[in-house]
Amino acid sequence: MTKRDVIHLVLEGERPLYVPWSFSFTEDAKDKLRAHYGDVDLEKALQNHLLPLGSDIGFFEDLGDHRVRDVFGVVWDRTVNRDIGFVENQILREPSLSGYSFPDPLDRRFFESIPSRIEEHGDRFRVFQLGFSLFERAWTLRGMENLLMDFYDNPRFVHELFEAIAAYNVAQVREALKYEIDAVYFGDDWGQQHGLLMGPRLWRKFIYPVLGMMYGTVHEAGKYVFIHSCGDVDELFDDLIAIGLNCFNPFQPEVMDVASLLERYRGQLTFHGGLSTQKTLPYGSVDDVRRETRDLLALGSKGGYIFSPAHAVEGDVPLENMLAFITLAQSQPGYVDQASVSAAVANDEEIPR
Amino acid sequence: MSERVPAIAAAVVEGDTSTVKVLVQEALDGQDDPAGVLNEGLIAGMREVGRLFEEGEYFVPEMLVAARAMKEGLTILRPALVSADVKPVGKVLIGTVKGDLHDIGKNLVGMMLEGSGLEVEDLGTDVSPERFVEAVRSGGAGLLGLSALLTTTMPYIRTTIEALDEAGLRDGIKVIVGGAPVTEAFAREISADGYAPDASRAAALARSLIAP
Repeated sequence: MTKRDVIHLVLEGERPLYVPWSFSFTEDAKDKLRAHYGDVDLEKALQNHLLPLGSDIGFFEDLGDHRVRDVFGVVWDRTVNRDIGFVENQILREPSLSGYSFPDPLDRRFFESIPSRIEEHGDRFRVFQLGFSLFERAWTLRGMENLLMDFYDNPRFVHELFEAIAAYNVAQVREALKYEIDAVYFGDDWGQQHGLLMGPRLWRKFIYPVLGMMYGTVHEAGKYVFIHSCGDVDELFDDLIAIGLNCFNPFQPEVMDVASLLERYRGQLTFHGGLSTQKTLPYGSVDDVRRETRDLLALGSKGGYIFSPAHAVEGDVPLENMLAFITLAQSQPGYVDQASVSAAVANDEEIPR
Repeated sequence: MSERVPAIAAAVVEGDTSTVKVLVQEALDGQDDPAGVLNEGLIAGMREVGRLFEEGEYFVPEMLVAARAMKEGLTILRPALVSADVKPVGKVLIGTVKGDLHDIGKNLVGMMLEGSGLEVEDLGTDVSPERFVEAVRSGGAGLLGLSALLTTTMPYIRTTIEALDEAGLRDGIKVIVGGAPVTEAFAREISADGYAPDASRAAALARSLIAP
């Protein structure tokens, strides 16, 4: 059974042989892992079950002085945050799209590496990533506070902007669906530590109908829908399931009850994440990390779960804590890394257990 | 107090900037007491906004449009407040700590603090402990609000409080803390004077500490 098969089982709510996993790390955290693993491909060392394809946050032109410009024209200051950065300019100064042209959703850079990556990691579950997939794209163009006030001041503009972003996304997704992918992984943060930024009423009025249209495009092609949406958003799960969501990330234990949600939604919604990145990983001991990891793996053994820290691991997490959860996931009974088996067979070595 | 004053509060709650501006001007023209317009109109409106936020009726957009209406009203009212020698109940410094550029939560706290009658000086984001110390030393503020969104930057809240201690300024100022990874337990551990989970409660906490 390949990693891809295991994820399929989990998404269908069936009991897997072991709990699959897929981890991500910020650049600072990757530096620590690289120092530990030496000169190896981290993607191979981690044995992730999801294969990210496309480019979740897009492509950037280097402007120098730690500044980059994305394909939408947004300039990001990466002086402090090396992974994403902070928006420096305001593309849509007025509540209007006039004079603004969206970039080409079919830019070859989003797709050109898909065949070779599938060739190299064919045993993994293939997810085409589409970050900043609605609300986030809108506020990076318009400014967060402006967009939130536009919900009241300029509702027609908000609808128009969201529809334009969705059209861009759908065009890109349709192109991605021409490849042998399994799912589309959208990314759009709506939550705060407590509740939604815009509240459920505005979310349902402005965001939900557009999500339904985007998710429908993926489902019509027989593929799965994943969403990454930070914060306290579990009040939306029933709505999201109704429009075809299959898997939710990051599943933050500080803002939602991961154990009861896993039990309640098993068979309807799969969760990816769950290990505390706000408390246990940066501040806990190795034993704390092991305890929480074992609990999550036990909960996930019945299905409906892909194990991972709740967010990309930050650079303040001690290496020992990173290795603790990586090792426990990889040493689960029932798991054999097929890529290592193939390599061992090719080299006539003992098969790893 | 004329009936315009409760109508000002209601218009703030609705985020109706143009009505707030008209009513504040009418109140001043009608010889309403500027302090009453401030306390029973603008501040009372923002207090209700805070209550609705805490109860999950209001969210960030409603808070933003209400704060904008309050600010516009305050701009019209301010000269009259100065003439009547009505002073803010206290001054507050706020900022996001070193290494952290997140500002939405901190801005909301600033709006709610202003809406509760406090004078607010926003030091911005990525503020070093040295800059916080300098701002506290320059005087006038009774309370400092420190914000962090990331686990990687939260330690600078502690560093900033330690820097105030070392500068001999800690006893002269109350310090409150907040932000996604910040907890009540962390606030106690670093000897902050208070923690609030959201902007509305931060404003109530600040008032209770410096203008009880």
